[in-house]
Amino acid sequence: MEAALAEAEAQSSAIDFESWVTEKADALLRFAYVLTGDHQLAEDAVQDALTTACARWGRVSQADDPEAYVKRMVVNAHISWWRRFRRREAPAAEPTRTAAAAPDGTASRADAEAVWALCATLPDKQRAAVVLRFYEELSYAEIAVLLHCAEATARSHVHRALAVLKNTLSKEGAEDA
Amino acid sequence: MPEPDEQELGPQLADAFQSKAHTVQGLRDRGLAREARRRVHKRRQTLIAGSAAVVVAVAIGGVWGAIGAPSPIPTSTGDNQSSAQDSGGGTDSKNQPEAAASACPAQHPILTAAGHEAVAPGTGLDLDTPVFGFEACRYRLVEGEQLLLGSATFTATTARQVVDAIKVLPERNPSLPVFKCTAETARPKEAIVLRFDTATGIREIWVGYDGCASAGFFTGTRTYGLYAAPLNLFMKGGVRPVGGIYLDHLKGW
Repeated sequence: MEAALAEAEAQSSAIDFESWVTEKADALLRFAYVLTGDHQLAEDAVQDALTTACARWGRVSQADDPEAYVKRMVVNAHISWWRRFRRREAPAAEPTRTAAAAPDGTASRADAEAVWALCATLPDKQRAAVVLRFYEELSYAEIAVLLHCAEATARSHVHRALAVLKNTLSKEGAEDA
Repeated sequence: MPEPDEQELGPQLADAFQSKAHTVQGLRDRGLAREARRRVHKRRQTLIAGSAAVVVAVAIGGVWGAIGAPSPIPTSTGDNQSSAQDSGGGTDSKNQPEAAASACPAQHPILTAAGHEAVAPGTGLDLDTPVFGFEACRYRLVEGEQLLLGSATFTATTARQVVDAIKVLPERNPSLPVFKCTAETARPKEAIVLRFDTATGIREIWVGYDGCASAGFFTGTRTYGLYAAPLNLFMKGGVRPVGGIYLDHLKGW
């Protein structure tokens, strides 16, 4: 009897997990893509996070916000040292604006492309901090928790990234002019 | 309140992220949940197989220990190798309570200590204390690569010989050079811990022979110079180093 109940509970839990993933997969993949800048890395990060979540689904599903919980796993997976080692990340060159400013009408799209390309040159933690700040709209305290650092460090990651982006965009803007 | 840079670039970033995020299509039906469950299942199977292997290994080790064979751990029994020299070894083993139980710990305080002189208070051997045998444990101390390199067990006779050979030594061996030391070369790459069985438990002497800062036998309260005579009693098998900054200048070891 107890075994049957346990089996039924496990099956129900599996169904829960399946339907939850079906519902949230898009949001998770979008977030992971913005975080990593690469479709394959995004899928890998989400898959790893979901594997971890599946193993402890009982706890994850009881969390206040399971989506935030799994996104945290995605961030952890992305900034973990072994994943960076696997990517064999080389030091990024000086950031350059790869998409030139376009004439009226397409200007904002070109700017978005340029910003996206510049973000790809940021170190992992700076990029993660920027994504969490401007895509997820988290506070610095929340970013600090996700990146396992002090709030001041999270703030510093964002501001350094912004300084680099601003500097590069204004330099390129001057050259375009 | 957002700072000027945030106000200026924030909307641009948010716009770029949003527009890129919406390009993510077609990844949804790839069975993420199914793959996650498959991986969890596989991990659990691996874990169970690993646990089973550990249980079998422990069981084999237990049987091995019960039938009185030597430890399967790759250690050398120093006195067995030197039994011809150590004439009193056979009868002496009666006075060696639980010597085999005091194996060298993989995680020893010397691995994290400031140096081979830093024997913790209360753990060093008082050389007037009766000893019933000892283990010599050779450790690599290189940062990030700390490791037990080898160990050997010795009888009470050898233990007494080692203690007697050390206690007459001066604080420093004047025939050894004094090195100009840098921080990089000061830290020893390895050292040996002698763990003596005494009536009050394990007491230690740390032996330093590498690193340019110091060398000798350290008890925590006393220092004795590095000489070959005591070293020759236990530097055998896996406990014999290939060299060391001071050892390279010591004759007859």
